[in-house]
Amino acid sequence: MATEACCQAIGILQSHSFLNNFNHHQKLQINLVKFVTRDCLSSNGLSSRGSNYSGQRNYGIVRSSASQTSVVDPVSSPSRSNTGETNKKSSEAALILIRHGESLWNEKNLFTGCVDVPLSKKGIDEAIEAGKRISSIPVDVIFTSALIRAQMTAMLAMTQHRRKKVPIVMHNQSEQARTWSQVFSEDTKKQSIPVVASWQLNERMYGELQGLNKQETADRYGKEQVHEWRRSYDIPPPNGESLEMCAERAVAYFRDQIEPQLLSGKNVMIAAHGNSLRSIIMYLDKLTSQEVISLELSTGIPMLYIFKEGRFIRRGSPIGPSEAGVYAYTRHLALYRQKLDEMFQ
Amino acid sequence: MFHFIGLLSPGLMASTFLYQPTARYSYGIDVPASSRNFGSFSLRFLSPRFPTNATRSVLHPSSLSNSHSLSSESESSLILIRHGESLWNEKNLFTGCCDVPLTKRGVEEAIEAGKRISYIPVDMIFTSALIRAQMTAMLAMTQHRQKKVPIIIHNESEQATTWTRVYSGKTMQQSIPVITAWQLNERMYGELQGLNKEETAERYGKEKVYEWRRSYDIPPPKGESLEMCSQRAVAYFKEFIEPQLKSGKHVMLAAHGNSLRSIIMYLEKLTSQEVTDLELSTGIPLLYIYKEGKFMSRGSPVGPSEADVYAYTQNLAVYRQQLEEMPH
Repeated sequence: MATEACCQAIGILQSHSFLNNFNHHQKLQINLVKFVTRDCLSSNGLSSRGSNYSGQRNYGIVRSSASQTSVVDPVSSPSRSNTGETNKKSSEAALILIRHGESLWNEKNLFTGCVDVPLSKKGIDEAIEAGKRISSIPVDVIFTSALIRAQMTAMLAMTQHRRKKVPIVMHNQSEQARTWSQVFSEDTKKQSIPVVASWQLNERMYGELQGLNKQETADRYGKEQVHEWRRSYDIPPPNGESLEMCAERAVAYFRDQIEPQLLSGKNVMIAAHGNSLRSIIMYLDKLTSQEVISLELSTGIPMLYIFKEGRFIRRGSPIGPSEAGVYAYTRHLALYRQKLDEMFQ
Repeated sequence: MFHFIGLLSPGLMASTFLYQPTARYSYGIDVPASSRNFGSFSLRFLSPRFPTNATRSVLHPSSLSNSHSLSSESESSLILIRHGESLWNEKNLFTGCCDVPLTKRGVEEAIEAGKRISYIPVDMIFTSALIRAQMTAMLAMTQHRQKKVPIIIHNESEQATTWTRVYSGKTMQQSIPVITAWQLNERMYGELQGLNKEETAERYGKEKVYEWRRSYDIPPPKGESLEMCSQRAVAYFKEFIEPQLKSGKHVMLAAHGNSLRSIIMYLEKLTSQEVTDLELSTGIPLLYIYKEGKFMSRGSPVGPSEADVYAYTQNLAVYRQQLEEMPH
């Protein structure tokens, strides 16, 4: 019944509806999105920063405690409240990216793509570990893909969060879904973190390779062909998506739905997949297509970006609270963490 | 007689929330048009009768009698699991159909439940459209001894069906379809959703609230009564789950207090008075054996670490033995 276009419409509708549901006095800062993108990427080309990047990039490296210098941000606005209220002037927002951990097909070495396979025991542990690392970073809204392994990763990670706001999955598929999931207490709404699930953040769709093991596939199609599909930027497997196609729908979604949240000062967490996250990082870090295909993203290790004045500043991987660093990512985040510490004293 | 299952799988993504009895049950395998007869299609790819692994002869009870036909002697297991603690349970808020996830404790309860059923065959899983039930099912299955992999079926749209398609027959056979259905959701609590029990007593008065919570047929404002919840849950069970059991499939159902009570009311032929007094523990699986059209309650399976040699039925005992002999 619903066509692909309808799927996209529904994806967008989900987010719009969630804003209405929660009666936030936010306006979708569509105008500002245009402003922001003036020196960002055009829809398929990316500016090159070739000299800064070389070879394979591994984002899973924990930042060493040597880098303890806190960024001194001129704080011209009062310290932000924990409810993430609009603060446009010098607002900064945290963006956390988490790639889900091991799934039951990873374990069996099968191509997964968009087949909706859950986490293995190891994947569950990875999600909880990831949660510990971000337990002191504010989260106001969560975006996940439509696949259970990303959703579970987000929900498991949030069981470790110190703030005690409760994630609630938004349902906008139909009038009934919307009505049935309605919350009738303002206080409760304020203590809630909306979770928006969207297919646009799904893993790259792997077409006819989905469910095949790597041996089977090499036998069926030949090793070079398979390598090409897996590692090229724009060559899709039969009936599947290329990385380029995946990037198109993931980045478009990010710009339409997620960036406005950051612009309005909301702290965002995205729980998704290797290829959809690489696509988004390509946009955030302005990578070339050559650079993105050699980008490796560790599973279960959260990545932090600070969004400020329309720019994304990469801040590496937050270390767990048990580690001895006194790492202040920004002054705002340090204040937030301090408040949490006081709450739990 | 194998019914083909028309169903709707409204998960958390773009999907229609409305019940559509004619929706196709597509397992996503690419089969030639001529064999798109759902009777044989389903039997070929979903039936445990045709696995290629060594335990084939044991995985289905009817094969023990050296018969591959749908004999009336076939029995199948039905596992019911009520999800554990959610983040609003912890805060003492009325949840209903608000989609709130599990707490750490709820996660542990799910894993514990999984250990208790790790030796009971599962061919299909049904859950509600809410993440706490889905997570409970997926967490429980990480403990299962049989190494088949649950896969959530998506039928919300053409794109969802195409994108989630599996292209290996062998992989399909090692898969356990997971169907999500809003009809298995918790009772919808209307205007009480999100309120705490204090707030509610103040707003409406204690007796009124007690009545809504404990009566059979009085709904809270804009909500469902237990009767209304039963109606849609049992209808779904009879139409979509029972046929699976009848055809010999072993089913696991992960859902909520009220939707499960409703189903138990049907399985055990309880009166409305009896069902309002029925308390269902969280995270403790309940086992029923379906045989010759009847449901027999077999209580709660004990965990494998417990010293019992609990044989629920001969078939299940043999199944358990086979699993123990498999390397793991």
